[in-house]
Amino acid sequence: MEVNQAKQEHLLALKGLHMEISGKFPTFCNPKPNVYLMRLTKPTLFTNMPVTCEDRDLPGDLFGRLMKEDPSTIKGSEALMLGEMLTLPQNFGNIFLGETFSSYISVNNDSSQLVKDILVKADLQTSSQRLNLSASNNAVTELKPESCIDDVIHHEVKEIGTHILVCAVSYTTQAGEKLYFRKFFKFQVLKPLDVKTKFYNAETDEVFLEAQIQNITTSSMFMEKVSLEPSMMYNVAELNTVETEDEGTSTFGKMSYLQPMDTRQYLYCLKPKPEFAEKAGVIKGVTVIGKLDIVWKTNLGERGRLQTSQLQRMAPGYGDVRLSLEMIPDTVNLEEPFDITCKITNCSERTMDLVLEMCNTCSIHWCGVSGRQLGKVSPSASLALPLKLLSSVQGLQSISGLRLTDTFLKRTYEYDDIAQVCVVCPYMSRES
Amino acid sequence: MDNNETPAQRPVTLDITGTVEVKPSLSEAPISPEPSLLPSSDVHFQEESIDLGGESFITPEEDSHSTPSESLMDKLNDQMMESVMISDSPINSEEDDVVPMDNLLEQFEEREEEPAAAVVKETLVEEEKEEVGEKVDDLIGQDTTEIKIEAAMMQTSPVASSPEEPLENVKQKLTTVDQDVITVSVSAVTPEDSTPSSGSPKPEAAALEASSKETTSKDESIPVCTIFSQGSQPKAQALVPDGFQPTLIKSPSFSSGTGGSTEITPSQLAPLVCQPSPSLSKFFSDSGHVNPATDFFDSFTTSSFISISNPNAESPKSAAPPERQLSASSGSSLSTSGLTESGIPTPSSFIGPTQTEATPRPLQQAPVEPAPATAPQPFTQLQAVFSGGDDPFATALNMSEADKRYDAWLPSEETRKVLISMATQQYSQVFVERERLAMPGLKFDNLQGDAVKDLMVRLMGEQAAMKRQVLTANSVEQSFLGLKQLISTKNWRAAVDLTGRLLTAHGQGYGKAGQPSSHNTDSLQLWFVRLALLTKLSLFQNAEMELEPFGNLDQPDLYYEYYPTVYPGRRGSMVPFSMRVLHAELPQYLGKPQESLDRLHSMRTVCQTILDNLEQGLAEDGSMINLTQENRQASLQLWKSRLSRVMYAMANCLLMMKDYVLAVETYHSIIQYEPQQKVQLLSGIGRIFLQIGDIKTAEKYFLDVEKASLEKGSGTTDTCVLMNRAFIYLSQNNYSEAHSSFAEVLKIDPKNPVANNNAAVCLLYLGRLKESLRQLEGLVQQDPALYLHESVLFNLTTMYELESSRSTQKKQALLESVACREGDSFNTQCLKLV
Repeated sequence: MEVNQAKQEHLLALKGLHMEISGKFPTFCNPKPNVYLMRLTKPTLFTNMPVTCEDRDLPGDLFGRLMKEDPSTIKGSEALMLGEMLTLPQNFGNIFLGETFSSYISVNNDSSQLVKDILVKADLQTSSQRLNLSASNNAVTELKPESCIDDVIHHEVKEIGTHILVCAVSYTTQAGEKLYFRKFFKFQVLKPLDVKTKFYNAETDEVFLEAQIQNITTSSMFMEKVSLEPSMMYNVAELNTVETEDEGTSTFGKMSYLQPMDTRQYLYCLKPKPEFAEKAGVIKGVTVIGKLDIVWKTNLGERGRLQTSQLQRMAPGYGDVRLSLEMIPDTVNLEEPFDITCKITNCSERTMDLVLEMCNTCSIHWCGVSGRQLGKVSPSASLALPLKLLSSVQGLQSISGLRLTDTFLKRTYEYDDIAQVCVVCPYMSRES
Repeated sequence: MDNNETPAQRPVTLDITGTVEVKPSLSEAPISPEPSLLPSSDVHFQEESIDLGGESFITPEEDSHSTPSESLMDKLNDQMMESVMISDSPINSEEDDVVPMDNLLEQFEEREEEPAAAVVKETLVEEEKEEVGEKVDDLIGQDTTEIKIEAAMMQTSPVASSPEEPLENVKQKLTTVDQDVITVSVSAVTPEDSTPSSGSPKPEAAALEASSKETTSKDESIPVCTIFSQGSQPKAQALVPDGFQPTLIKSPSFSSGTGGSTEITPSQLAPLVCQPSPSLSKFFSDSGHVNPATDFFDSFTTSSFISISNPNAESPKSAAPPERQLSASSGSSLSTSGLTESGIPTPSSFIGPTQTEATPRPLQQAPVEPAPATAPQPFTQLQAVFSGGDDPFATALNMSEADKRYDAWLPSEETRKVLISMATQQYSQVFVERERLAMPGLKFDNLQGDAVKDLMVRLMGEQAAMKRQVLTANSVEQSFLGLKQLISTKNWRAAVDLTGRLLTAHGQGYGKAGQPSSHNTDSLQLWFVRLALLTKLSLFQNAEMELEPFGNLDQPDLYYEYYPTVYPGRRGSMVPFSMRVLHAELPQYLGKPQESLDRLHSMRTVCQTILDNLEQGLAEDGSMINLTQENRQASLQLWKSRLSRVMYAMANCLLMMKDYVLAVETYHSIIQYEPQQKVQLLSGIGRIFLQIGDIKTAEKYFLDVEKASLEKGSGTTDTCVLMNRAFIYLSQNNYSEAHSSFAEVLKIDPKNPVANNNAAVCLLYLGRLKESLRQLEGLVQQDPALYLHESVLFNLTTMYELESSRSTQKKQALLESVACREGDSFNTQCLKLV
């Protein structure tokens, strides 16, 4: 045992894991306390295997009686597989980022002699830091034979990769010899979730965020919370429930758990706060949208929590002049003029002098004078522009043909497919 | 280690960090992660692997069965895979973002409208990067400052990455709460540790050297992480590379289909195929003695049309050379002496009576049986053995309503046709294709042995093992009575042996599968018991092999109508309903839950149809026979309970498949058939939700349980309610409250084994190992009948391992108490002695 320990330390030092070689190797004499470690994941419920028979069968009531006598069955409904008996975790299992690593540390004096001044220190060495996890740093004055020092440590895992739990025990023998030894318990922290995001820009200032969350562990996961914490610029609406009369039902059905390798899509709608939306020019380039906060639970409430890094989004490039729609009817009558209101925003850094031209397409006919002067528009300023047009063709028609020319730079901006409108024949619709 | 760094080395390490930064991005490139990386980056990977600690990358699932030379490469490969993972982590996040910048440049060039600002931004990023590089140069080896650098990188990088494709999927890096930017990229820093101090600019050779050194040292006894490390470390290492030993008992619902997980069910660990041991067939063929069990069966079922096609029915005798009779004396004395020792009538004593009973059968064509060696016993004794006797005349007369009720089954259309023609052409032979008959036979005939005794011999020597006395197939009466005795004393392995003997006597012994034989009620009951016991013993593969000749249990010769002369007037299935359930449930234990579901669904359809028939005033099989009200009620009740059994099986199967939605639905639907089980079922559903982690819904169900138990009006708080409350506390990590809830249950029901065990488990989580141990030990000593259960023993041994280096001795003490009380079916794995 001792020899091995010496080797371990030597090896680790070789590997450059930033561990100093201990000052003193444990000597080969007894007494020596021992360190035992057990990871405390949640216990599991024992499942039994129901094998039943009927009274008329050969074993008669034998099987039934055996099952009734079995302490792990549910009395009264023995055919129910999932029992109530708790069993301790039988192996280390996997540990995932965001989960809490709990462990029982038991320091036991197996020898027949008393040892004194025992100090147990549990440190967790990650690839970046070393944390002290021991509850107390006080030495225990004496440890009698067959007795032990118990400690339960907890640590929320915040790093992926190799972790090493270092248990250092220093003590004094009855002979007054000061001794010291360490034990290392190494484990890997894995990634539990795979998160992918995608942004969709609406015609308005709204942004839709689709987040695909995949469970890449080997057990099913109950998603307790998947929320988007928006940055200060946005308000968020979660679109993952369907509102019925009084309470919303999840879009994922009755059970909100994810089987291994299952992916689920969450949708969020982000609206810029009014004070930011006013200055439309402000939201451009890269903006911070917010971050996803994910809380999940597994077996008997084993909890995990993760946050993504700040999600960033490139606002769609509007060029120098942005044309957006303030108002448009969804359905209009054939060959009847209708009104739309456009909003023209100067997104550039300079003042513009704009001229509006309206070009008819085969279906859309603009009413009014083309080549109208809109006047000067300063940076980040906008102006509302009511326009009238009619359609000569039925069906879903795309509104196109607006041209803005900046007379300062002699640059023309074209706006096609600004919006769609449904054109119906009024007589037909009246009949129906 | 870091302090050993000499300033001269730094430029070298800077170079390395630079390349390392670029390389993972190559592998992460969106287009195609080519395996062919730059050779230099390959080397860096190796270096990385060294620093990240060699064997650490062998996940618990991977075993160390590769030879050292192979494992070197394997390990390196593993690490290369892993390193991609690492670059996913927040640590190296800047690397993802560096690449897009190159692409960006090109893209920007193509865009007309894009102002120069973007380019400026870009160069800014690059500048920052250089700064960072300088910082690295300065601060290399100092963890804290490096974190800052990472932070800086993080802030800059998104600017570069996101403009590229704003609508593309952006893989978000996960970081934990409170820690958006973390960790030093060890990969970047560590190469310097392994580079020789000579400061050579190309560290490849050195790195290789280091890596080989590394791997060789790996092969020596290694380090670290042995959970429950025992004295002999190298040995443990050979088995368990990472020290995380996959062991034992996990509830099947958890472990099935978990793929790479380390959880292993006892069934997976258990030897699925029986150990080679003295052959059972030797019992018949080599003893030279007339098979004592052969004549156990009255063979009147060997009616004319069957015996023609069934020459092997009597084969144990016909195959034996005639001189066996002559040489029997020595062999028989051997076996009989063994039997008489245990004070049980010699098996040969049954031969006579069966002969006498066999005489009335029509057209006996079987080879003439050799005359019994010993005098026949009184007829009455045999009658006692055949409690549910199948005397054709008796059954015809006593063909009770109960029989009809229990035997009812709906055969498939094809089978039904055969059976009808059988009934109409009673005296002429009906030709049935061989393929359509059930022709079972034993698929293995070795004796099952006693694992407890084997373990005792191994650990404590023959002397101690002598104390272990269990019943074997030899030590009981060779009859149903003996069989029941073995089952009730939990000697299921011996019981399996005995069923084998009895079935061999019936002509369905080892190697008889695929050979025509006849069935009767008793043979099918024997098969049922045998298969049920195999299932209970988790010998699923054996059970499946032996069930295979039965097909879907719908062959015509499994119905009474097929034997009009033997069972005149009797109708329905010879196969007991429980055997059908077993047949349906079996595939799920062998990783084929879908097949189980299919079978269960068709069973459910039959049950439902029979119930519908009964409710419409018809007989079970839909015929117009009038049933008395009493019989109808009895039948309705029976079939409802059967339906609920099938539903239970379905729900259990769904739970195993982790299809929790359907499982919960199915459990819920059982309430309508078994209203008296409402409390248990609702609690069970609640526990399923707890298992998933959905505590809120679980609480909802537990509230329903409370209501239901109030309705029942038990007055005092039900133990069930308290138990549920404890589970909720447990799920909230509130172990002390959970413990007191379990303690409250014990106030009401001090002998409740579940509450006792669970309270002890809570104590461990509260850091009170000694108390927990004392409690469990006390329980096992005081009431071994209740607490020598594998779950309790498993908990106890786990705590022994945590508590003391003398766990093996303590476990052996447990084994001894097991040996005194438990039968040969005890699952020794829970003692974790192997």
